[in-house]
Amino acid sequence: MDWSLLFQSYGAIFTSLQVILMALLGATGGVLLGAVPGMTATMGVALLIPFSFGMDLIPSIALLLGIYCGGMYGGSISAILIHAPGTPSAAATLLDGYPMCQKGQAGKALSVALFSSFCGGVLGALIMTFLSPMVAKVAMKFTSAEMLMLAVFGLSVIVSISGKSISKGLIAAFFGLLLATVGQDPTYGAKRFVFSFRPLLSGFSFIPVLIGLFAVSEVIAGVERIVAGDEKQESSHEKLTRVLPDGKTIKTIWPNILFGGIIGTFIGAIPGAGGDIAVFVSYGFNKSFSRHPEKWGTGIPNGVAATESANNGCSGGAMIPLLSLGVPGDAVTAVLLGAFIMKGIQPGPMMYVNELPTVYKVFAALMLANIAMLAVGCVGVRFFAKIVSVEKKMLYPIILIVSLLGAFAINKNVFDIGVCVLFGVVGYLMNKFEFPLSPILLALILGPMCEQNLVRFVDVNNGNFLEILHRPIAMGFFIVSVATIIFSIYNQNKINKREAAAAQAEKAE
Amino acid sequence: MKKTQTKAFSNLVCAIILLIFEGWAYYETYSFKVQKKAYVQPATFPRVMLIGMIVFTLILLIQSLIKVFGTMKENDPDNSPAPPINPFTNKGVLAALFVVLLCCCFTFFFEKLGYVLISAIICAIIMWMVGKRDILVILLVSILVPLVLWFVFYKLLTVNIPMGVLQPLRDLVDKI
Repeated sequence: MDWSLLFQSYGAIFTSLQVILMALLGATGGVLLGAVPGMTATMGVALLIPFSFGMDLIPSIALLLGIYCGGMYGGSISAILIHAPGTPSAAATLLDGYPMCQKGQAGKALSVALFSSFCGGVLGALIMTFLSPMVAKVAMKFTSAEMLMLAVFGLSVIVSISGKSISKGLIAAFFGLLLATVGQDPTYGAKRFVFSFRPLLSGFSFIPVLIGLFAVSEVIAGVERIVAGDEKQESSHEKLTRVLPDGKTIKTIWPNILFGGIIGTFIGAIPGAGGDIAVFVSYGFNKSFSRHPEKWGTGIPNGVAATESANNGCSGGAMIPLLSLGVPGDAVTAVLLGAFIMKGIQPGPMMYVNELPTVYKVFAALMLANIAMLAVGCVGVRFFAKIVSVEKKMLYPIILIVSLLGAFAINKNVFDIGVCVLFGVVGYLMNKFEFPLSPILLALILGPMCEQNLVRFVDVNNGNFLEILHRPIAMGFFIVSVATIIFSIYNQNKINKREAAAAQAEKAE
Repeated sequence: MKKTQTKAFSNLVCAIILLIFEGWAYYETYSFKVQKKAYVQPATFPRVMLIGMIVFTLILLIQSLIKVFGTMKENDPDNSPAPPINPFTNKGVLAALFVVLLCCCFTFFFEKLGYVLISAIICAIIMWMVGKRDILVILLVSILVPLVLWFVFYKLLTVNIPMGVLQPLRDLVDKI
């Protein structure tokens, strides 16, 4: 590594007013876009790419990376405040973020999300700076076998997010995997559960399902609670004294941030696997190793930290295969690849030889984008936290019309609004009968990945699935998956026993 | 409390409904096209998922049967009252059902009436339903919020949202 060139590049980026302004502008746009359900970071980058046409490469990359990082954090805002993840990768943030909001700690949840997102992003940028060629080499060893087992590893987390009843969690997960098969079969194009209804040919879009399951169902349940007189809190009046978490909170969440950031970066570096998978893996991993797994899902900062650090850690991870191999790690980096090519630079192994100063400047721009996201987030946290002080009688209808519009906006298709409403009802009923919703989401993300790679692997090996035993990385993932399932079941039994004992002790008193 | 009013009983009913759904879905997989020389058929993955779902539904069914027809500890979480689902006896459930109906109306009239108008109507109805009685606030929120949202999506995010009968408003904004 050329240290002097690295420092020079960082110096050039951090002293250029234009680059700083672009990063701030991008982060502001990203945070705002990410906070709107249905608007993803990919959409933001694609939307603003025309504005970067007239700029030099580095300011335009700073603008786009600002949107990327801002969008990653922005998704958590609506997840925490209104139970509607702004982006798919913020889906796991609501597991603890929304309960924190319900406890009147929305501001704290937002500040933990911001700080963790920043730390995860910085960790990702550092790993990208120092280890990118190495990580890229490992990531490129991923074929269908490894991708299949990565999906299985992701699915193994389901047990730890299933709540009290593992059987209900697994029913929900298999239901999600079944839903992922609706539409045309990805390999042969055969119609499955389409019933001659053309809009179903492409299956259910992920975002409308996500919005329906979490936001619309919450509105239906919220209206029910208000009318039945069960709504405990009309509105929250939390006084936010700090925009960043205090020292005591940081002390408790730093291991989650560290592991989350590392998990996010490595999963982000695998082409085809992004933040949506990383957040659940990080949540499950951190919960499994927690001293108090029973507190996860009840509204603790650790849950928010574990998911948000993994979420933004992915931004650095996804840049690794882009720069070192010319292969985008996710949809946003695919758009970024277009931006590089437009500027006459071809990312790939030769970029490290021919364009090393540019590579280092991109590293620095990602670091700057994370700092810009922190700055914008600090200004915005107080404002965003005010949303929950709006009376719920007004908030619920507003959430409903924003959610339904978000469902439409993703594909500009009325069918998606219908899907959103349908899954709103499904989510409402599932919540009522205590079936967890998150396994469906995880299954919807991982189902297509699982099936496509299974079919590919079996076809390549002439039907011999046992060939997978000769793939060390895949078997490594398999062993970790089995260990995660066993550990999660053990943990859940421990939690159930503790809760039963506590209930008995309470009754005895 | 009667056992038919407990969560254990509602789990039993859920499990039976799920089994019927799973049976139907499994039968439906036989209508999928069979590919020649394919190791993994289009029906294979859905069937495996359905078998998984059936196995865990059966576990839930057996657990519930034991609790409903056998003995259940007093502090068992499944011994608590089942959630209300009857809209005729619970006004909260009736309101929830009404919100679902409004959402269906939103989907149906979205293109005909346009986003702003249908959202304003639905927003006002829900606010009134949950007990908001300040007419001025109801009118302001129901009109301004959809308008601002439409403007942000249309002008800033370049998402074309149907305006229906309010199309002239969009023409006016375009002219300005």
